[in-house]
Amino acid sequence: MIPLDELLVFSGLLFSIGIFGVLTRRNFIMLLISVEIIMNSAILNFVTFSAYSPSSSVAQAVSGQGIAVVLIGLAATEVALGLAIVLALNRIIGSVDVAKAMELRL
Amino acid sequence: MNVDGVLFALLAGAGLLTAIAALLAREIVHTIMWIAILFVSLGLVYFLLEAPFLGVLQLAVYAGAVTILLLFAIMVVKKRIFSKEAVTGIGVSSVALAVALATLFTLNASSVTPPNGGRVYDTTLLSVSLFASYGAWVLALGFVVLSALVGAVYLARESRGRRIRAEGE
Amino acid sequence: MVGLDFFVYAFLVPLLPALAFVVLGLTGKSFRNGGGLLAVGAEGLALLLSVFFAYEESVSTTGIYHDSSFVWMGLPDGTNFVMGTLMSPLGALMLLVVNIVGFLVVVYSLEYMSHEEGLPRYYAELMLFLTAMNLVCLADNFLEFILAWELVGLCSYLLIGFFWKKPEAASAAKKAFLVTRVGDVLFFVGVFIFFTSLAGVVNPSITTLPYQGQVCPGGQVTWACAGFTFAPPNANSNAPFLAPGTITSPGYGSNLMTLAGLLILGGAAGKSAQFPLHTWLPDAMEGPTTVSALIHAATMVAAGVFLLAITSIYIGFTSTAALVILGIGSFTSLFAGTMGVVARDIKRVIAYSTMSQLGYMVMGVGASSLVLVGPGDAMFHLFTHAFFKALLFLSAGSVIHAVGTQDLFAMGGLLRKMPVTAFTMLIGALALSGIPPFSGFFSKDGLLALTWAASQHYAVALPFFLLALVGVFLTGFYIFRLWFLTFSGSHSRTPGLHGHEPSWIMRAPLVALAGLTLVAGVLPLFGGFANLLPGVQWGTLGYSYTSSGWVFSSSDLMVAIASLVLAFAGVGTAYVFWGNGRVFSLPENSWLRAPHTLLLRKYYFDEVYDGLAHGVILGVARGLDWFDRYVIDGTIHAFERLFSQASERGRRIQSGLVSNYASWIALGLVVLLVAIIYGIPWLDSLWGGG
Repeated sequence: MIPLDELLVFSGLLFSIGIFGVLTRRNFIMLLISVEIIMNSAILNFVTFSAYSPSSSVAQAVSGQGIAVVLIGLAATEVALGLAIVLALNRIIGSVDVAKAMELRL
Repeated sequence: MNVDGVLFALLAGAGLLTAIAALLAREIVHTIMWIAILFVSLGLVYFLLEAPFLGVLQLAVYAGAVTILLLFAIMVVKKRIFSKEAVTGIGVSSVALAVALATLFTLNASSVTPPNGGRVYDTTLLSVSLFASYGAWVLALGFVVLSALVGAVYLARESRGRRIRAEGE
Repeated sequence: MVGLDFFVYAFLVPLLPALAFVVLGLTGKSFRNGGGLLAVGAEGLALLLSVFFAYEESVSTTGIYHDSSFVWMGLPDGTNFVMGTLMSPLGALMLLVVNIVGFLVVVYSLEYMSHEEGLPRYYAELMLFLTAMNLVCLADNFLEFILAWELVGLCSYLLIGFFWKKPEAASAAKKAFLVTRVGDVLFFVGVFIFFTSLAGVVNPSITTLPYQGQVCPGGQVTWACAGFTFAPPNANSNAPFLAPGTITSPGYGSNLMTLAGLLILGGAAGKSAQFPLHTWLPDAMEGPTTVSALIHAATMVAAGVFLLAITSIYIGFTSTAALVILGIGSFTSLFAGTMGVVARDIKRVIAYSTMSQLGYMVMGVGASSLVLVGPGDAMFHLFTHAFFKALLFLSAGSVIHAVGTQDLFAMGGLLRKMPVTAFTMLIGALALSGIPPFSGFFSKDGLLALTWAASQHYAVALPFFLLALVGVFLTGFYIFRLWFLTFSGSHSRTPGLHGHEPSWIMRAPLVALAGLTLVAGVLPLFGGFANLLPGVQWGTLGYSYTSSGWVFSSSDLMVAIASLVLAFAGVGTAYVFWGNGRVFSLPENSWLRAPHTLLLRKYYFDEVYDGLAHGVILGVARGLDWFDRYVIDGTIHAFERLFSQASERGRRIQSGLVSNYASWIALGLVVLLVAIIYGIPWLDSLWGGG
């Protein structure tokens, strides 16, 4: 069995890399990819805790995987939506550079 | 160290390296390639964690669908990665990450052992759990996916009003 | 209350002119002659009603106070603010005065004002004034009284400024309003002191009322229990006069009480043009003569005396306050008379005489409070004065109407051309001078006797009694100076000045007022009229009417003889200087030049007040302006700069860049993480692991 702390550290490092990508990249597609890395680290955590669940009830312990399933579905929709936004952004400002999408500021 | 540990170490190392490579790649298509390898290695980790269904789902959805979607987006947008990539907020994010990692590494969970000595969750159990206990969630997920679909269609559609305005200008 | 309770309909008296006001104010232009006949009709009905009410009040067998009121606002602490009408002896008398003079003036206006512009406005404002004045008479609490009092002041302002195109009229209106405002503020503060601080003093301990010593129904003074409500002393108005010093109620003679009384005197002084708030009344003569007769001679200016009179009944003045009232009144009576001696404007001379006579009344209220009798004598003088002063004004109006000037030195020799006017004015002048058998003699003599009696108890009052006596001489002098300058001689001093008698519409009110002036002096002898004058002594020729019948007093006789001699001396002196068409002018190098100029310039009061306004008030205003500009505004601007710069810096955070927002989110996440992993255990250890 894989030690729990190794799993958590792996997940934490993935999360950090994802966050770093979100913060430093300007290409919207890169942002999306970074967000996907973050999502994956979160899903990995759910699966890990499902495996390490102290609960004696198998049905309860497996619910972590259930949530992971839901999350994978959500991640997929998120990507679809994000890509639609990429298309819209590209059409409106002619670029996918988030630094050029400054509409939030007056 | 058992086989599982060695395999995990390999997969985890590969995952971290590909993740970093994905962020550092100069060509956005290369990023997609690296990220696909990350998704595959994660899927294999799920197999190691006795979650075969999730591993398959990961391979199908992430390594398959999401990767292809991203490729399509790149194809439509036809934008290369920016030659001068921004480093906005690199200071604050570095500090934040350093603090977060320092916090994480202080955790000591090595003493925790799996309670049931590695039980196998077969897909039947998961499906029973999903559709019996979490049926409402699955239903809600369906609605979310549906509304996301509608939203994506709306966003991606070439809006008529906007086109007219663009012509006017 | 048993019997026919028709006093609840007293509200009809103010209501009738109020209706006329609304109709004229809205549709006045569609009437012929500006709706004067409508005004005459409404006021005539009000007059009939008030005569009826006054008569019923004087013979009433159901007590002398008839209150019909409703609670307007009730406060949680049990204080009620009521609205309603109180028919009281003083109120009924005042009602009579207001409506008689009001009716005659409205009739007189029909011709006098007929070729003026803005007649609907004139009549509407007149009706509003009569409404408010009737309300002043009938108010059953101080709150209502203040409302009506303010309304009266407003109408005075409007009517003085009736010829608003004349700059003098406009500024006179402003002056009247502002000067009376000074008094009004004092008055309000006085009432509030009574309401807040002295209600407790008056309420539980005083079951005996200040001057009558009668127990109120329920052992309570209701004005204090029910907010501002006047306390009707449930007693016979001819209650015996108490000896001085019988009031022993605790708290009654407090300094606060004195202060409140003086503040109320301030209000009365503003309205009644008493020293030192007198400056507005001579200027107020810029208004139409009818308005001067009604408002600035007979009714509104008398409201100040009325206020003092009802205050002396319902609350009472401390002896200090009463002495100040006496002093102010008697000083004003002489002070105004001296200015009347030199004035050239016919209306201004009469205005000074009004101030002087009001001074006598104020003095009378103070004196009656000192000797603890009702203010009946002052009210009696108010009653007679209203008639002969309105008569003087209307006669003067008749003269002005005929000759088109107000300068006394431009007139002369009008006796033959205007015999009726000359005759009625002579009656008014004789009454004013205090020559028997005209009404002024009886009422003024009563006041002088009263003041003499007061000076027997309080020696401080004696000099003021002497001042008032000198005032009697001056009164005869200046009013006959006016009469001789106007009417005597064989020809007018201005060539081409042709007088003529006005038509009967203007003559009838003159004759009516002359008749009233003749009979008013002896009215207290008949029927229940004396019931309307609580405490009246009618100290004529030494005889006083008291509860125990007619009492002869030799000191009163001496006072009467002295005032008679002085009045005749005044008239005689006037004849020497001005009679028979003579025009006396002061020699250039006479030592009297300086005082003459002083009098002509009205003791430089206007200049002093202007100087005060410019020096002190403007200086204070400048200081406040500076303070406002640099301290208050400076503080505000400092805050403004602080916030604008803070936001100028702060908005840089809002870069609009998604990555930056994400950075903040990440930072927050990290903080949360650290807080959860380290912060919570740390806090737990801090609180002993609880």
